[in-house]
Amino acid sequence: MKISDIILLAADNLKRNVFRTVLTAFGVAVGIGSLSSMISLGKGVSTNISKQMESNDLFTGLTMSSRSIDFDGSSNKTILSDEKKETVPLTDSILNEIRSWEEVATAFAEQIKPATIKLEGKSAVTNIKAIPLEMSSFYPFNKINPGSFYSSESEPSVILSKIVLDKMGITSSLDSLIGQNIEIITRVFDLDKIDLITSKKKQLPVKNDTTILKIKGIVQTSSFSAGIFNDGIFLPPLTCSFIPSIDLRNVYDIINGEQGKYGKCNTVHVRVKDFSMLKTVKLRIEDKGFSVFSIGDKLEDFEKIFFMLDTVLAVIGSIALIISVFGIVNTLIMAIYERRKEIGIMKSLGATARQIKFIFYFEAAIIGFVGGVFGVLCGKLVSQVSGNIANSQLGNFIDSNIEYFAFSWEIVFFSILFSVAVSILASIYPADKASKIDPLNALRRE
Amino acid sequence: MALIQVEHLSKTYKKGDNKIYALRNINFDIQEGEYVSIVGKSGSGKSTLLNLLGGMDTSAEGGVYYNGKNLLTMSEKELSYHRKFTVGMIFQSFNLIPSRTAIDNVKLPLIFSNYPIMLRETRACELLYNMGLYNRALHYPSELSGGEAQRVAIARALANKPKVILADEPTGNLDTATSAEIIGLLKMFNEKHKITIIMVTHDKETAHKVSHKTILLSDGEIIKITSNRNQ
Repeated sequence: MKISDIILLAADNLKRNVFRTVLTAFGVAVGIGSLSSMISLGKGVSTNISKQMESNDLFTGLTMSSRSIDFDGSSNKTILSDEKKETVPLTDSILNEIRSWEEVATAFAEQIKPATIKLEGKSAVTNIKAIPLEMSSFYPFNKINPGSFYSSESEPSVILSKIVLDKMGITSSLDSLIGQNIEIITRVFDLDKIDLITSKKKQLPVKNDTTILKIKGIVQTSSFSAGIFNDGIFLPPLTCSFIPSIDLRNVYDIINGEQGKYGKCNTVHVRVKDFSMLKTVKLRIEDKGFSVFSIGDKLEDFEKIFFMLDTVLAVIGSIALIISVFGIVNTLIMAIYERRKEIGIMKSLGATARQIKFIFYFEAAIIGFVGGVFGVLCGKLVSQVSGNIANSQLGNFIDSNIEYFAFSWEIVFFSILFSVAVSILASIYPADKASKIDPLNALRRE
Repeated sequence: MALIQVEHLSKTYKKGDNKIYALRNINFDIQEGEYVSIVGKSGSGKSTLLNLLGGMDTSAEGGVYYNGKNLLTMSEKELSYHRKFTVGMIFQSFNLIPSRTAIDNVKLPLIFSNYPIMLRETRACELLYNMGLYNRALHYPSELSGGEAQRVAIARALANKPKVILADEPTGNLDTATSAEIIGLLKMFNEKHKITIIMVTHDKETAHKVSHKTILLSDGEIIKITSNRNQ
């Protein structure tokens, strides 16, 4: 018996009870629909997070620190390991050496100053951050809109974060803000007030200092960008260093009487040219006695988490498929009882047990295939609708449209293949039962 | 050498502690091209004997030899082959598949025997034409009369050109005129194509009229074998 004969016989048998076949295939479609959409959800989430991280240059950035900080979370609290090992100061020479490495695109010391900013009569407390010119080719500074990145290390202008503008409640168009002046108010020591302390009046020896700079551009970050670039205003390093502000680290040094022990800064941000170079640079920095943290370094952990997520979602999706398998078994067993005499006739005409089995396998395979195709279509439709709803509901919190479900051709192909395979598996018992029908007994029952 | 040899064939059923003989020590030979009728009352073991000859049942003692090969010791695969190519079966209740048209019913044994796809339609049409049913080819069994349905069953039994036709009361559900028509058809195939016919029937008169040999069974035993060589 040829495969085409078996397919035709199987299709004929299924056509005889269209309603039951459709219901069984619908069960399979629900199962495959839920499985494929769950897998595509898992894939979508992991792909999107990875993509967002990659496009936000999170995999090429690392942060080095002069203090050993337990970033791996082996303990729940951050450990300043001064008592464990000697701290290597983060000096300009170290910074320059790292900058000179071939793999490094840029490295800059973190310079953050707390400030109050005033614009269009509105104000907000934020941080001013020094960002070097080399960062103009990295996210988010390669996506400044409106405006542009500053062109020199001492330009008296700033890049504003959209988040800060939202915090201030500024509603005017972003374009109209470019070129406007912004007031940056910082706190500085007021030596005159030191006398007041000695005279026991409770007033801190500080006063406000106002710097006025021009807005050069506005940067809009996604929720996946590194913390340092999310919020605040960004200035050329020299401009930033000219803005007076109390440096709390200096105060710490003064109190400890160890001025300069920790170097000129606490933290240095490094950008490597390519993700493949990250590990080498990280090891070289660690060899110098510094702590290094990078998200790229945690990629393997992310992959493990994504794999677990995919597995859990696939298991959830499989539940409906397992239920539909019982539907196939039920349909085929019903068919055996109904077609008992017919199977007897076939055997009396010379059909072998194997041929009878194959007719049932193919009936199941057809149900699986039809259910698989419709399941994938339903899954695609449901995921499309769910994705749209999620984007419309979460649009306020997440600034870019995310494709939550990654419905690839691989998922389509393997879902249909899986559906057919599972259906054939489900038909093994009924097919075996059908093949063992005694023709004599079957023909006697009239 | 005889085409079929039945030797010391016995079949028993168990009823409680008692052993009941459905067939007891049956012995006979059938030559190629013979028309043999098995007659007897209900429960005499006629159909049981026919089923053993058709390889539908193998749970018996003794031997049923086709060209020297014992059906009772054949594997399931060999029995399928026997049912496919050596014998064609006709039943009292026609046993056509109700969901398949007349032509599709005739094509069924051709499917199981791997008959070339392109030639199946021609072969089935030829058989139905010979049965005078060409115009009923696309009708379902429920749309056919008893005589027509039995002729479709005969066409189906002949599909793979078997040497032997086993007919289990082929006229049992038919009126006298139609019965005569069916018996006539079987006789025609026997004479024209030298197909061996083994027919189970209640009707001794018809059996004597058409058969070369009549086997009379009673309570599972052969009472008499009559030869009608003039047939």
